[in-house]
Amino acid sequence: MAESSSPAALTLALTSQPSVPGMDPHHQDDCPENGLGRGNGETNGPPAKRSRPTPPLSPITAAEIAEEFSHHDLSVARINNGSFGSCPGSVLSAQAVWQRLFLRQPDAFYFNHLQPGLLRSRAIVKDLINAADIDEVSLVDNATTAAAIVLQHVSWAFSEGVFHKGDAVVMLHYAYGAVKKSIHAYVARAGGHVIEVPLPFPVSSNEEIIREFRKALDLGKANGRRVRLAVIDHVTSMPSVVIPVKELTKICRQEGVDQVFVDAAHAIGNVEVDVQDIDADFYTSNLHKWFFCPPSVAFLHSKKCSSSAPCLHHPVVSQEYGKGLPLESAWIGTRDYSSQLVVPSVIDFVNRFDGGILGIRTRNHDKVVEMGMMLAQAWGTFLGSPPEMCCSMIMVALPGSLGVSSEKDALKLRSLLREEYRVEVPIHYHRPKDIEAGRQNGHSGVTGYVRISYQVYNTVDDYYRLRDAVHKLVNDGFNCGMLPSK
Amino acid sequence: MMSPAGASGLPAKPLQPASTHISAAEIAEEFSHHHPSVARLNNGSFGSCPASVSAAQLRWQRLFLRQPDEFYFHHLKPGILCSRALVRDLINAVDIEEISLVDNATTAVAIVLQHASWSFAEGAFRKGDAVVIFQHAYPAVKKAIHAYIARSGGHVIEVPLAFPVSSDEEIIREFCNALDRAKAEGRRVRLAVICHVTSMPSVVIPVKELTAICREAGVDQVFVDGAHSIGNVKVDVQDIGADFYTSNFHKWFFCPPSAAFLYAQKAPTSPPLHHPVVSHEYGNGLPTESSWIGTRDYSSQLVVPSAMEFISRFEGGIEGIQERNHESVVKMGKMLADAWETLLGSPPGMCSSMIMVGLPNCLGVSSETDALSLRSLLREEFKVEVPVYFHPEEDKNHGVTTGYVRISHQVYNVEDEYYRLRDAVLKLVQDGITCSMILSE
Repeated sequence: MAESSSPAALTLALTSQPSVPGMDPHHQDDCPENGLGRGNGETNGPPAKRSRPTPPLSPITAAEIAEEFSHHDLSVARINNGSFGSCPGSVLSAQAVWQRLFLRQPDAFYFNHLQPGLLRSRAIVKDLINAADIDEVSLVDNATTAAAIVLQHVSWAFSEGVFHKGDAVVMLHYAYGAVKKSIHAYVARAGGHVIEVPLPFPVSSNEEIIREFRKALDLGKANGRRVRLAVIDHVTSMPSVVIPVKELTKICRQEGVDQVFVDAAHAIGNVEVDVQDIDADFYTSNLHKWFFCPPSVAFLHSKKCSSSAPCLHHPVVSQEYGKGLPLESAWIGTRDYSSQLVVPSVIDFVNRFDGGILGIRTRNHDKVVEMGMMLAQAWGTFLGSPPEMCCSMIMVALPGSLGVSSEKDALKLRSLLREEYRVEVPIHYHRPKDIEAGRQNGHSGVTGYVRISYQVYNTVDDYYRLRDAVHKLVNDGFNCGMLPSK
Repeated sequence: MMSPAGASGLPAKPLQPASTHISAAEIAEEFSHHHPSVARLNNGSFGSCPASVSAAQLRWQRLFLRQPDEFYFHHLKPGILCSRALVRDLINAVDIEEISLVDNATTAVAIVLQHASWSFAEGAFRKGDAVVIFQHAYPAVKKAIHAYIARSGGHVIEVPLAFPVSSDEEIIREFCNALDRAKAEGRRVRLAVICHVTSMPSVVIPVKELTAICREAGVDQVFVDGAHSIGNVKVDVQDIGADFYTSNFHKWFFCPPSAAFLYAQKAPTSPPLHHPVVSHEYGNGLPTESSWIGTRDYSSQLVVPSAMEFISRFEGGIEGIQERNHESVVKMGKMLADAWETLLGSPPGMCSSMIMVGLPNCLGVSSETDALSLRSLLREEFKVEVPVYFHPEEDKNHGVTTGYVRISHQVYNVEDEYYRLRDAVLKLVQDGITCSMILSE
């Protein structure tokens, strides 16, 4: 399996090489030197269409799935795939092979294996998200890093006078906490004006979201101000709802918003991602949440640096600075890049399932809706959004009697469920202002929601355990006020 | 159920039999995952990690994968704190709040330089204020200076490094000249970025003296880039007296890729440093910000205690390792210089566990490309891994050595590896091979 950087050989490498480096390490190190061995963003011929599966002759069985996730704590009802994701044993094994390859002879790894491996992963991502060009795809640690990249660029624009003090950046109220802080750290600090779009919750239609978004844009443009950037979640984290990003992006274009950044941390492997269709300027998603990669890896999709598209930079500057974000991100100093290198192995894994990743997320969605409805019925509560505004996660209202009256209560209740009932599920606290609107909609008394996830390793029993745990708490007259204040 | 984590949050490990110092056989076993047929003389670039530390890392990784929420709420923070406390003691810092763990020195540089960039943007520094760096600073650092300082309007002054170098005084003189130049131009020097051990060519810089000179000259802040330092030369941050100091644990301190510390002296007057990747911990101080920059694998930062345990198995601990590495690399360097009839790039007193040895001129290393292709040839044909440095001739002074190898010595190295390098180069010389021949193949 000779690797070299000649065009024919690179195509060969992409299409015929197994997902992990050869199991014969001696042979790997005998590969002819390929000079600087840097993937320079060129593909020659179409890369393997690995993301479109041929239907497996015999799909993965339940027993095989259980084996793949046997490293999970099996005593825990693990219904929080959304926070930290999950990684099957076969992908972890592939990762170990890459890690050992580096440790064995790191110089040979650096010169011969790293860049071709990253290029291969990028090519797969490009197909997965329907990007036009591999040069638009960068691999980074996580969406948090991608946000820093985009927002640092905005910060420079303010400092360098391209944007003016007071120009606005719009974000959703339910934007992820880290992203809100990043906007503060880079935009507000540089003199930008930050506008939050309040979102109704519980929510019942896309129209409610669109309406609030339009109002926020009007506010942004008040007094002749420019809206320089809109940061829109594809799937909000807490509370979790699928946002109509394509429509909102279109509205942004119509309303003269300079740039749109879709923070889709949860999206890939969870909802459909077609970046050409959504047509944002920047789009990021984590591959370790719903796409079975080990911690951690994400992609950032952004147009190639040109007169019409800004030059993004990785904040950690290496000797690759100035060669475009994909190459800058492919070397940010010595570190473990193995989680970025196993994307081909993940494709192998998902292709073992009926319908590949599309099949997986369709079934995940159906199951989480089914389980959500089961819980809502059992508890006499309701869902936070209609099924079509959900993905593989859904919000289910907790009985009001539990008395979740603060974020602290939500955390403590979550700990209680983890420690006493061995159920792992995040809890969202619903603020009083929102409750008033809720009361008007007949949602009185509810202040807390669980966000349940469904991934291939889950079984219905996980959700029955949550159901019963909450039932018990309610029957015992439990109230969050009873928990120690520390 | 896994063994419960101890009070420090460390997962339990199998009991070790009581032993005296680690034996040669045990060392070989610890590094048996290295490619057995490669003469691995380049510990400086990517470091090395013994099997027992890798095993500890795997335990941390499994702990996360098993129940990540539990890991996040109960194990991560105590583990990071434990590592930071050990680092504080290791480098003689005053306060644990001065210690942050980051991916690598490259990241630490971005942190310090982004901070300077904000100072320019917010008017604390004025356009034209200067930042001083070494001409032979690591390429990534030079790019970061361009990306953050030059872009913000700062003026960059480079200090040339005479090479080969024969005394600290040569370095100090050039440094003082650079500061004088700034003064003559009426520029305020806001930051001096000083390498502790340069990468290519590798030389130990008298950082304590240079820092003192900076203070006298009214330089605002001193940042020591000690990427190669920890486990290689002595690091006492109070003694050195710099504002910021960074070093990689994965190079000479037996950690897996990758982990580094950034030391920042507590300075209530200046705006705080921030990690460029902003999480919900933003504003809670750099150590806390760095301890959570989104979901990722923090295991290489969590095994610092395991690396220290490994080191403690050696006579004299890390000092013993440093001394013996230094002695061995000097001995091997002299052996090579004698065999090739060349020279050392610096006197032994200015070396660490790395040393520069001149290559015979007939090999014709006349460019960086030549150096790279010679390195590749040594790797492929002779299975010797050693970085090659191209030193430009000044004034086309023929006879000046233009090619050097940078040899490293770490605990896993044996003399035979250096003999293989010696013989490889002698063979190339004997066969009349020049770099231009390699390229034309």
